[in-house]
Amino acid sequence: MVVRDYNDELKYLERIDANSWRIKKGFQPNMNVEGVFYVNSALEKLMFDELRNACRPGMVGGFLPGMKQIANVAALPGIVHRSIGLPDVHSGYGFAIGNMAAFDMNDPLSIVSPGGVGFDINCGVRLLRTNLFEKDVQPVKEQLAQSMFDHIPVGVGSKGIIPMTATNLEEALEMGMDWSLREGYIWAEDKEHCEEYGRMLNADPSKVSMRAKKRGLPQLGTLGAGNHYAEIQVVDEIYDKWAASKMGIEDKGQVCVMIHSGSRGFGHQVATDALVQMEKAMKRDNIETNDRQLACARINSQEGQDYLKAMAAAANFAWVNRSSMTFLSRQAFAKQFHMTPDDLDMHVIYDVSHNIAKVEEHVVDGKQKTLLVHRKGSTRAFPPHHPLIPVDYQLTGQPVLIGGTMGTCSYVLTGTEQGMQQTFGSTCHGAGRALSRAKSRRNLEYTDVLNKLQQQGIAIRVASLKLVMEEAPESYKNVTDVVDTCHAAGISKKCIKLRPIAVIKG
Amino acid sequence: MFKRKLLALDHHAPDSVNINDEREIKNLVLWLENQKIRRYKIENRGVLEADGPQWRANFEKYCKDLASPIVDGSMEEKLEWLIGYAVSLEYADDVGKYKAQTAENISKTVLTAPKVESSNPLDNMDFESADFKKGVLTLAQILNITPHPDHLITLQAVSKVVRERLSQEALDNPNNIIVKGKPFPFQEADLGFDMGDYVLNQAAKILRLLYIHDLRDLQTNINETIVAVQSITADPKTDTKLGQVGR
Repeated sequence: MVVRDYNDELKYLERIDANSWRIKKGFQPNMNVEGVFYVNSALEKLMFDELRNACRPGMVGGFLPGMKQIANVAALPGIVHRSIGLPDVHSGYGFAIGNMAAFDMNDPLSIVSPGGVGFDINCGVRLLRTNLFEKDVQPVKEQLAQSMFDHIPVGVGSKGIIPMTATNLEEALEMGMDWSLREGYIWAEDKEHCEEYGRMLNADPSKVSMRAKKRGLPQLGTLGAGNHYAEIQVVDEIYDKWAASKMGIEDKGQVCVMIHSGSRGFGHQVATDALVQMEKAMKRDNIETNDRQLACARINSQEGQDYLKAMAAAANFAWVNRSSMTFLSRQAFAKQFHMTPDDLDMHVIYDVSHNIAKVEEHVVDGKQKTLLVHRKGSTRAFPPHHPLIPVDYQLTGQPVLIGGTMGTCSYVLTGTEQGMQQTFGSTCHGAGRALSRAKSRRNLEYTDVLNKLQQQGIAIRVASLKLVMEEAPESYKNVTDVVDTCHAAGISKKCIKLRPIAVIKG
Repeated sequence: MFKRKLLALDHHAPDSVNINDEREIKNLVLWLENQKIRRYKIENRGVLEADGPQWRANFEKYCKDLASPIVDGSMEEKLEWLIGYAVSLEYADDVGKYKAQTAENISKTVLTAPKVESSNPLDNMDFESADFKKGVLTLAQILNITPHPDHLITLQAVSKVVRERLSQEALDNPNNIIVKGKPFPFQEADLGFDMGDYVLNQAAKILRLLYIHDLRDLQTNINETIVAVQSITADPKTDTKLGQVGR
């Protein structure tokens, strides 16, 4: 890493407009393209503080600041257009979380990097609507929260309650949500309203290690821990009446269920296995990167292809996982209200992935190109009329689900044409951490956090109290700042704001 | 069952072989052996006589003698193979004759076949007559359809309205059949491109709406198919003993 004075570093940073900054070549060595990041004034301060801290003498260890990570990604072989930091960007393994980058599939030197996908492969958010309103749910809020908690297995080491054999798992890895459909856990319309229709076709379970399968088998259908949650939310604000109506959201107070989860230990193991393979590939093919954590392999190499196939299997795992929890949530609601999920109109509004790499067609400098788009902590946000979004959203643009943090609000955005041009149809994914987990534990008391949630009238069921501190809203960037920045920059458009009334956590 | 293959073999009653009737199966097997396959010598074919003892065991042995690949299959599968085998023998007997029967040649024979006088009154109508054109126009006016300069296209629109909106089902249950969409300000929706001409842009918007309409129909059909398959395959289960829920 180049060590420079903070003021010298600033020479490489240039404001483009009110909501974005350019990172010029030379900020890190060997940059092939420029970097860009989107911020508003509050987030801008966080970003620059982080850089300033890293420039202080004696600062070693830990993750590099987000801006440096964005620039290091810009130095990877085959990257096109720009290395893009979304407003919720924060340091992660190799790639910053909230960093997206696209690589030209037709360039033989282009790479795929597990660090650009993240360890929780196909972590994502699913939103179910209901035809209930806040007044129906408030009186039974506690019971409903308990009912959800009684249906969905949560927490570290939790096990699924949907019987699975090793053969079932192999099929699920290959088929994704088609497996859930075949077995009858979900509805046909769920598949229609899911990114990629809930199935990556290039998945190959034979490229996944036994170890990953062993870890994954008992965990299918569990929420997990960390920042994952299931929330009962009510519509707090509607910004785009028409788009909301296309999603089946008619009025303020309407009740929704948000599920935020991923591929659990399975995806983590797939990523870990791949990193080992990639280190070998880098040595063999002489791939140089600025950061050891940016382990990668050429897309066309054996290691690159193996990773993409295993990653697709992990993505399918995550979709089956969210589908199983959809099934369990519907049961919980049905039991509480003595009505069928059908009568409660519990349709999936949409399901997004925010840790994934996909092959997509984009126009770069006026030319159509096939790209491998890495989105890590970044959500796909395709504009109206894009062929890959469901027919129901052809006029509105793809719904983008932004999960907030425990006790804050969540948003539904829609994709825009401008986002397609500037960020390969990508936008933010959530709040993004501001304090590290360790720091949150030192600074916060769990009783305070719980009291505060109670004062806000939010019912909470949590498996581990330690987690409450780590996941407190204070530990995160303000999701409203993040979403407002995306809206102001035009890379996605605000549609609905949701606030939680009950939270289930690991 | 097996109608087309039996027809090819000149079977006396290709339409009416009932494979659920054991007697008919036995007769069919014997007929195949006698007329087409001729694996056994004539004097040995008695083992396949319908009234013969241990017919089943003899049949199994017969299949084995013919090296049938269907060992554990159902009777139906075995028969299917047997008849197919007979067809292949028939073909091998006179390859030259059958080889000439390509799709091209057959369609030629069909073309030279005498035309049958149609009894459909519509076939004898003059679609270009002034009378007909006037009729279409009147019909369109009654149904409130904007006429197209080409009266045949107007007729297509009339047909579509009659089929979708005036069918018996639609008249009985208008709420179920006729989709009541919610209004959407599509004029303000982002078209995604600009052709620099207001009229062209409007036309493009309408084309997009028509396309979305078709796409919706397709997706609905897909969903219906999935649901139909689910009724056979679906069996969701949970077992709370497997994991820990609630605390």
